[in-house]
This record gives sequence, structure tokens and C-alpha cells, in this order.
Amino acid sequence: MLQLENVTKRFGGLVAVDTVSLEITEGEFVGIVGPNGSGKTTLFNVINGVFYPEEGRVFFNGIDITRMPPYKRAPLGIGRTFQIPRPFASATVRENVAVGAMFGFQGRTLNVEQSLEVADQVIERIGLAGHGFKNAGILTPVEKKFMEIARALAMKPRLLLMDEAMAGMHPGEIDNVVQFLVDVAKEEGIAIVAMVEHIMRAVVNMAEKVIVLDYGEKIVDAPTREALSDPRVVDVYLGEGAKEDNADG
Amino acid sequence: MKNRLRPYYPLLPVFAAYLVLFLLGRNVAGMWQLTATLLFYCALGQAFNIFLGMTGYVDFGYVAFLGVGTYGMATAITGLAGYPQLGLWAVALGFVLAMLMATLLSVAVGAVALRLRGAYFAIATIGVSEGFRFLIEGANLWNGSSGMIFTSQLNKLLGRDLASSVMTFWADVLVLAIAVAAAIVTLLYMKSKIGYALTALREDEDAAKVMGINVTRYKILAFITSACFAGAVGAASWALKTPYVFPPEVFEIHYTIEAIIIVMLGGAGTMLGPIVGALIYGISKYYLSIFLPGFQLFIFALVIIFIIVMFPEGVVGVIKGKTRRTAIAPYIL
Repeated sequence: MLQLENVTKRFGGLVAVDTVSLEITEGEFVGIVGPNGSGKTTLFNVINGVFYPEEGRVFFNGIDITRMPPYKRAPLGIGRTFQIPRPFASATVRENVAVGAMFGFQGRTLNVEQSLEVADQVIERIGLAGHGFKNAGILTPVEKKFMEIARALAMKPRLLLMDEAMAGMHPGEIDNVVQFLVDVAKEEGIAIVAMVEHIMRAVVNMAEKVIVLDYGEKIVDAPTREALSDPRVVDVYLGEGAKEDNADG
Repeated sequence: MKNRLRPYYPLLPVFAAYLVLFLLGRNVAGMWQLTATLLFYCALGQAFNIFLGMTGYVDFGYVAFLGVGTYGMATAITGLAGYPQLGLWAVALGFVLAMLMATLLSVAVGAVALRLRGAYFAIATIGVSEGFRFLIEGANLWNGSSGMIFTSQLNKLLGRDLASSVMTFWADVLVLAIAVAAAIVTLLYMKSKIGYALTALREDEDAAKVMGINVTRYKILAFITSACFAGAVGAASWALKTPYVFPPEVFEIHYTIEAIIIVMLGGAGTMLGPIVGALIYGISKYYLSIFLPGFQLFIFALVIIFIIVMFPEGVVGVIKGKTRRTAIAPYIL
């Protein structure tokens, strides 16, 4: 469904993403792993059009979207959550989520009222029922994260890019969110690409495949268990030499 | 039936306010002049709110749209004076020309300035009204700095009696009609996808883009709509009411500042806000200058500081927040 061919994105002399090729198939659950500054967020920004790459091409369902503006990608079915939630603060939770439905994958076929109905369903399902008429600005940080996931899901994406969505939640919550995401993704056939910096627990539980980035390069692209036991991943995370002390990874 | 009309409830307080204003002006001796001023501020606020309130962008050159609107009406009246059989049609054509010119200017300004964000947009637009004024004066457009006086042409087209009642009464009624139309358009925008898109881009433009919103398109739409109403306000309030136009008067930045104050005082992005803001601003300005002449600006500054500190979301913004779960909530927008 999503293909990147030799994508390179530079910022001046810094190569943030270095000739990365990858493929995401429909309904797949992929974790993107890598230390700070390894190019994960830049890769997301290239996929959803915030930046255009200098080299390489991006295809979505066979369409070349390399230089397509972000607002045209959302209707194709590419959704996104941000690391730090970005609610439309003066609007209510319901309106926020409805915006996702209105301009997302099915946006053209939905009017305002239908979008609000979709919003109510998603809000109910994610467990924010009762918050619908609150201003998004007054939610707690964790509620904002849930709202942002709801807003992205209301877009009915085919591909959902999640930027460190579970940071700041406690382990019990993470398990709930992961289970929720796995269920919704299965039901609606959404491919999820989740970027994970610290919370390995989440990756191991949900991802079928893990892609590891280091200094902008893709160093591993393999099924989860295999990827996490790869010596190169241990190097990247714990520094070289750590494998002798931590042989079981 | 009741349910289907519910989205239009917010128009009721707006219409009620205008009705009371109109009846007071007509029936209390000596009130029409104040009423006319207040109607002008209401219309100005409602027109500006469609852009400033809904997008969060501050246009410091907004008065230019009123200015070109005034010139549009002046041009139509002067140019059509030779066809007295046109009568009121000439005035109608004047409005068309005024709104057309304001639209063209807004497209030109928007195409360049709306690429800028926040303070950069604000600074760029200051240049527009000043630049336009100097262009008219320097290039001697529309008689340059000597301006246009078209009282006699208006008399020729409408006859002396009608022309004088247009100047003293009907021009103000037209301003009221424009304000009502702007209120209706505001509500239609707010209730449609346009309103949701504008709210999203006002709050977080980058997130809005990622959500699938063509932010440039919606910004320009709000800008053009707002400018178009401003052109009509200029044509009615500045051209028909006083049939002359001089560049320094119609490109005076003072009016832009007043428009910003009115919208912020009342509540940017709310439906009722510009009216409340216009009434507070207009009435206090009028009475302060009567009772404390010379001190009115000083006291007014204190009043504005007080309101901005106490009600950062504007008077209506605060009321809206406080009444969310009450019976009057459907009427406050």
C-alpha cells in the first residue's frame, strides 16, 4: 500500500533520512524504532507531506505522492497523530473529532451532521464519552492523546501514522490503548505505523514488524522478535559492546 | 420542525439587537445619528469578524476594502450620472462595483500576504492600506488627492428629494441590511464544513493541513467574504451617506484599529460578539466624548484594558463559556 523508494531528506548538510526504502502492506502493524534524532519524525513528515524529500519517491496505492501537499493525502487515507497532542483547543472534543471525519478518507461523502455522528461513535468507543461537549483545551494530557487518536481514527484512514502516541501513559493504559488499536485496526483494515522511542513494551505487544532507523538509515526491517534480538539493534540502543554484557538482549 | 430550526437560533439575539437599535433610532428624537454610528460599527465588526474572528489572522490594512468600496460607489455614481433613467439601479450597480473591487483587492492581497503567518501577515497588511492611498494620490487615480465629490451626480440620478433621504436615512438602513447579511453568512459558514475548517486552521494550521484541510483555500474564502462585505459597508456608509471621498479619510488606519477593538471586545469568532463589541465601543465613545470631552480616549483606554484583562475571550466568548449547559446556550454562538 505504501512504498518508499530510496527516499532522502536533507536539512542543509544534515541527512535526516538517508536512502530509505520500505513497504507497508494493508492492515499491517509496524513499529518504527530508533534513538532520538534517528530520523523517525522526518520519515513521518515525508510520508504525510509536511516535507518533500530531495531524492526518491513515495507511492500510496500506486499513486506517486512524493510532492503532494498534506491536505490531499488525508483524503487518500493517510492519518496522523502528533507526539505532543495538537488539539483545536477552542473547539469541543466532538468538533475536533468531527473535523477528522469531515476532511478524511470519507470526508467528501459526509456532511457536518454525519461527521458529528461518526465523531460520537469514535469518542464513545475510545472511552471519552461524557467529554464530547468539553473544550479540547481543558482535557488532561492523557485525554488529549486519546482525543487525538480518536480524531485520527475518525478520518477512517487506511494508513495511520502514530507519533509516540503512548508516551506519558502508565503501563495499564498503554495495554488498553494497544489492545484498542489492534482491535480497531483489524476491524477496519487500517495499517498502523507507530513510532516508538522508549516504550518497547508497546512495540513487542502490537507490532508484527519492526523497522529500525539509525542516523537516518534503515538498519533493520524484520518481524518483531527477530528485529529486537538483532545485534545491530542492541548496538544502537545500548551502545556497542553492550551485547557482551547483555547477551540475551 | 423545532429541531431543524435550532441551528438558526443564534440569529434571534442578533435580529433582536438590530430591531431594538432601529426602533430606538427611529422613535427617540435625536437618536438616529448615534444609531447610524452604531450600525456602522456593527456592520464593520461583523464583516471583519468573518476574517479576523474565524481565521485568527489580523489584517491591519482592512480599511482599504472599505476605501475601495467607497471609490467603487463613487465611480458608478459619477460615471452613470449621464443616465438619469437608471435611478436606483445606478446605486445597485455601485454596490456591485464596490464589492467587485474589494474582492479583486482581497484576491491580490490574499494571494501574497496569506502565505505569511501571524505577525508577518499583520505587518505586511499595514502596507496595503497606506500603499493604496499613496498609489491613488501619487498616480492621480480617481482625481488623486483632490478626491471625488459626487453630490450633484447623486441628485441628478435620484432627484433631490430621494437623494437627500438616501443620505440621511436609507444609507444607514443599507448598512443595517449589510450587517444582517454578514450575520447570516457568518452563521452559514459556522454551521458548515467551512466553519470547522476555519476553526481548525485558526487553532493549529499545520495540524489542520494534516487533517486534510486545504488551509489556503479556506483562508482566502474567509478573506474575500470579509472584504466583500467591507466594500459594501464603505459604499453605503461612506459613499452614499456622504457623497464625497478623499484618500486620507477612507484609508485611515484608525478604522482598522476600531474594527479590531470591536471584534476583540465582543468576542472574536463568535456570532454575537461583533454586535456587543460595537455597542460597548460605540456607546462609550459617544457618551464619553459628551460628558468628559478631552478625556474620552484616556478613560476609554482604561475601559478596554479592563475588559481585555477580565474577558480575554471577549464578552460573548465568556458568556458562551458560562452558559454552555443552560437553556440559552442554543442562542449564544
